[in-house]
Amino acid sequence: MTTAIKIKDINKSYGNLQALSNVNLEIKKGEFFGLLGPNGAGKSTLIKIMAGLAHKDSGSITVLGNDVVKEPKLTKKALGIVPQEVVIDPYFNPKEALRLQSGYFGINNNEEKIDELLTALDLQDKAEAYSRNLSGGMKRRLLIAKALVHDPEIIVLDEPTAGVDVELRNSLWDYIRKLNREGKTIILTTHYLEEAETLCDRIAIMDKGEIITIDTKENLVNSIDKKIVELNLTQDIDELPTFFNKYPYEFNKERKEINIELTKDNLIKFINEVYQSELVIEDIDIASAKLEDVFLRLTNLGGDKDE
Amino acid sequence: MNNYTSFFALVKKEVLRFIKVSIQTIFAPLISTSLYLIIFSYSFKSKEIAGYGVPYIQFIIPGLVIMGIIQNSFANTSSSLIISKYQGTIVDLLLAPLSHMELSLGMMIGGIARGLAVGTSIYLVSILFASGQIANPLLLLFTATLVAGIFSLLGLIAGLWAEKFDHVSIFSNFFITPLTFLSGVFYSVKSLPGIWSQVSLFNPVFYMVDIVRYAFVNHSDINPFFSLGVISSLFIILFGLTTYLFKIGYKIKD
Repeated sequence: MTTAIKIKDINKSYGNLQALSNVNLEIKKGEFFGLLGPNGAGKSTLIKIMAGLAHKDSGSITVLGNDVVKEPKLTKKALGIVPQEVVIDPYFNPKEALRLQSGYFGINNNEEKIDELLTALDLQDKAEAYSRNLSGGMKRRLLIAKALVHDPEIIVLDEPTAGVDVELRNSLWDYIRKLNREGKTIILTTHYLEEAETLCDRIAIMDKGEIITIDTKENLVNSIDKKIVELNLTQDIDELPTFFNKYPYEFNKERKEINIELTKDNLIKFINEVYQSELVIEDIDIASAKLEDVFLRLTNLGGDKDE
Repeated sequence: MNNYTSFFALVKKEVLRFIKVSIQTIFAPLISTSLYLIIFSYSFKSKEIAGYGVPYIQFIIPGLVIMGIIQNSFANTSSSLIISKYQGTIVDLLLAPLSHMELSLGMMIGGIARGLAVGTSIYLVSILFASGQIANPLLLLFTATLVAGIFSLLGLIAGLWAEKFDHVSIFSNFFITPLTFLSGVFYSVKSLPGIWSQVSLFNPVFYMVDIVRYAFVNHSDINPFFSLGVISSLFIILFGLTTYLFKIGYKIKD
C-alpha cells in the first residue's frame, strides 16, 4: 500500500458558503506534502473532515485505506493532528497531558516516547510546569508533542510554527524532517511559503474551496518563467543604456544597483547586452522565481496591479 | 472495544479533573449540606412524618444524600464539557480513538464518581446526627449510582447544548433545583394538600428520593419497584440520547 490519504470528491458547505467543492487529492506514504492557500481557502476544513472534527456533505476520505467515517478508531490512530488553535488544558502539566494523551491512544506506559518528545521539542525543563504559564511557543510545541505520542504514521501540521521563534522553528523542523526520513508521511499547511518551499516535496494550492494545482515544488517554481537579476555597478552613472528600456527595471542611483525582471529566454540576451555595453559590473546576482510567485499568481492575491 | 486503555484514560482524566479541585468539588457541597443537617436537627427536633416512624432528621438524610449526588453529578459533567468546549480542549477527545458510546460512558463515570464521593461524605457526616443505619445497602448503592448516572448524562446534554456558562445555570437553576426541592427531600409527598401529591408523581426526582429513602429506612411513599422501573427507564433513554448527540456531534462538530 503506497497511498497514505485519498480524498475523493469532498464537498462541504456552511450555509451558503461552499467551503470545499469537489476536492480530490492523493497523498503518498512517506511524502512531505504541503497544503497552501490564503485564509478561508478550505485547508483547515479539509483537515477537520479528515480528522473527524467536522462532517462532510459528500465524498469520502480514506487514511491508509480505511474510511474515516466507517473506521474512525483505525484512522484516528494513524493520524497525529496538530490543530491550528493553541488549546491547552490547564488542569494538567505537560508531562501529565502527554501521559493522558498516550492513554487516549491506548498506550499505558509511554515514558520513553514522552521523554524523547519533551527533549526533541525542548520542553524538558517545563515538563512539570503549570501549563497556563507556558509561553505561546511552548504551548504550540506541547501540542505537537501531544500529536506525536502515539507514533502516528501520518502527521498533520496545521500552521504549526505561528508564534514559534526562528531558532526553535529550525529545531522543530529538524525533528519533523527526521520523522519524515524514518518513513512518516507529513502534511503541512502553512502561511510561511519559504517553509513550504524548503520542506515539501509536493504541494497543493487551494483557493476558495478548490484545489487549483498539485505538483512537485520544482515543477511549480519552474512553471513561472521569471529570472530576477540584480546588478551592482562600480561607478556612478546618470542614465542607463537604452537597451534597458525593453525590460521592466528599477534603478537605484545612490546604491548603484539595478533590479531587472526577465524571462528565461531573454536572460542570455540581456547578459550579452550588458557585456557589450560600457557598464562596469561589480557583482551580479540571478534568482529564480519563488513559490511565493506561483502562489500569488494562482490565488490572485498579487494580481490586479495592472487593472 | 478491544482496547480499554483509551476508555480508562478518559475516566481517569474526568476523575483527576475534579480531584485536583476537590475543595470546590467535594468539600464545598459537603459544608452546605452539613449546614442543612445542623439547622434541621435543631429546628425540627420533635417533628415526625406520618407513617414513617423515624425522627425527622433520619427522614431527610436520604434526601440530602441524593440531593448532593444530583447536584454534583450534574455539575461535574456539565462543567467538564462546557470548559473543554470553551477552552477548545474538546478536540483532544474528538481526535482520540474513542467511540461515541465510550465518550458518553467515560464522562458519565466521572460524574458518577464525584456524585458518589459527595453522597458518601454527606452520609458519613450524617452519622454525627443520626444512627447511620441503612436498611438495604446494596439497593442504596445501586440506586445512588443510577441517579448519579442520570444526572451525569443530563449534565452532558446540558454541556453539549450550552454555548456559554450561563446556559448551564439555566438548567440547574430553573429545572434541577426546583425539581429537587419539590421532590420530597424535606417532606412526604403523601402529606401534600389536594392535587399537589398527584402533581409530584410527574417529577422524576420524586422517584429517586423515594427509593433512596426506602433503601435507608425501609419505608416509602410508593412501591419501590415502580420507582426503580421509572429511574432505570430514564437512565436508558438518557444514555441513548447522549450517545446519539455525541454521534451526530451536536454543537461540537461543524
